[in-house]
Amino acid sequence: MKMSKTGLAVIFAAYVLVPLLLGSNSYVMSLIVAAMIIGGIALAWALLGNLGGMVSFGHSAFFGVGAYVSAILTMKAGVPVLAAMLLGGVGAVVASLAMLPVLRLRGPYFALAILAYAHIFKILATEWTSVTGGSAGLASVPRFPTLMGFDLSSKTGSYLIVLSLLLVFIAAYRVIRSSHYGIALRAMHDSEDATRVVGVNSTLLKALMLFVSAFMTGVIGAFNVHYINFLEPDYAFSGLWVTLPIVAAIFGGYRTILGPLVGAVTVYLVDQLIFKNLIPSGHQLILGALLVAMIIFSPGGLMPLLRKGTRRKHAAA
Amino acid sequence: MLEIANVRAGYGAINILWDVSISVPTGQLTTIIGPNGAGKTTLLRAIMGLVPLSQGSIRLNGEPLDGSSTWSMLERGVAMIPEGRMIFKDMTIEENLMLGAFPKAQRASAQANCEKAYAMFPRLSERRTQLAGTLSGGEAQMLAMARGLMSDPKLLIIDEPSLGLAPVVVNELFEILARLKAEGRTIVLVEQNTHKAVGVADHVHLMQSGKVVLSKPAAEVSLEALHELYFAH
Repeated sequence: MKMSKTGLAVIFAAYVLVPLLLGSNSYVMSLIVAAMIIGGIALAWALLGNLGGMVSFGHSAFFGVGAYVSAILTMKAGVPVLAAMLLGGVGAVVASLAMLPVLRLRGPYFALAILAYAHIFKILATEWTSVTGGSAGLASVPRFPTLMGFDLSSKTGSYLIVLSLLLVFIAAYRVIRSSHYGIALRAMHDSEDATRVVGVNSTLLKALMLFVSAFMTGVIGAFNVHYINFLEPDYAFSGLWVTLPIVAAIFGGYRTILGPLVGAVTVYLVDQLIFKNLIPSGHQLILGALLVAMIIFSPGGLMPLLRKGTRRKHAAA
Repeated sequence: MLEIANVRAGYGAINILWDVSISVPTGQLTTIIGPNGAGKTTLLRAIMGLVPLSQGSIRLNGEPLDGSSTWSMLERGVAMIPEGRMIFKDMTIEENLMLGAFPKAQRASAQANCEKAYAMFPRLSERRTQLAGTLSGGEAQMLAMARGLMSDPKLLIIDEPSLGLAPVVVNELFEILARLKAEGRTIVLVEQNTHKAVGVADHVHLMQSGKVVLSKPAAEVSLEALHELYFAH
């Protein structure tokens, strides 16, 4: 895979400079980690929503199932945390198997049906008290281990884990987008019948993308539970785990890889650092207004806007 | 040889095709003409597996075609050029073409077939990196044809290619159809332009209200008699 110099520089800065410069400020680090969690879900969501045109309101289910599977495996079966995180992703894929019938629906019907499915898992987590602890939740979920003398459960350690996850996701997204399947996904956005006519098994393709997206979201959910060490159904399956990423993915940019990430970091940080100070409760209101403004003035999202800005600077120079 | 026997099909409770039987000889051009709502497009969709049959059978060289999925048609050597082109507007021309060779077996020869398509449609070659949404109606139809040819199909199913095109472009289009026929491909052509369609065809079928009302070799068809049937109620 080709990687640009700026790309390498950004990765270097993310791995070395951010921990060195901001590592001591745990408030800022926790904001960054939270923004990256949203970014991870936004990227997984964008794989379905931006690339394949399947708008899902149900990703909070994958987030919650991933979290529960990983938490329960570490607490009751003694599985090591990092392995359990991957199994959390697998758990989310298993949950997505139940959602396969929804793939027959399109557009808003798909979005609503998958939202209903997401609710089923929340009810399961609440009612299956013997395993999930019910609505009281699970306390003291194991933290990240210490690896080669480095404490991964520290703010900086958690930051490095989520950063690595995101980089793997970006790589996976890039590979998928540039493959035959990526082209077929984009085509499906235009007309599913036409893609079938050119020989694409669209049902299988949609199912595969749902699995990949569910896996990514599940892993992020599992990361989050070991990061905060606590879990309860209302939190794990909260609608915010899907609404914020959707806002981020749309805000960031249509069909770009970095869009959802840039969108997540921007949206989350601006929301937490500025809007929350202005209006302590209900500050998400401004996000909604901002999204509307974005759709009107730059339907392509933040990324094209940024590029336009740099181009203008070049022209002026 | 494509054999359509006693086919009944439709959309849910509404039946469109009433016992349609048509046979399409290999290497020849068979045209199906008829007014709007006659069931021509539904018949093509039924061949492609986009509409399920409620009765009858469709066989290609003796093997049943009905019941197999739409996306497996390319592997069987059947390609469709759908009505209204159905090109992918947000993608470049080259990407549109590459998608026409999506099945694994076709990918190896995709590049060579792409060059062949450019040779047949030079205007597409000039614009290969442009978005397909920027093409004119005629160019979009050429792209749809080129995409259909990417899998080098033996049986081509073409739905109203001349729809909404200028007369000059229609002439060009029919020249290409004649060339494809000369290459030895079997073609099923649905058309409204009876004059042009009968001119290029070997066999003519006229459909009306879901039934075949006339089947004749093209040489024996008189356009006047055809038009009388066409406009009859």
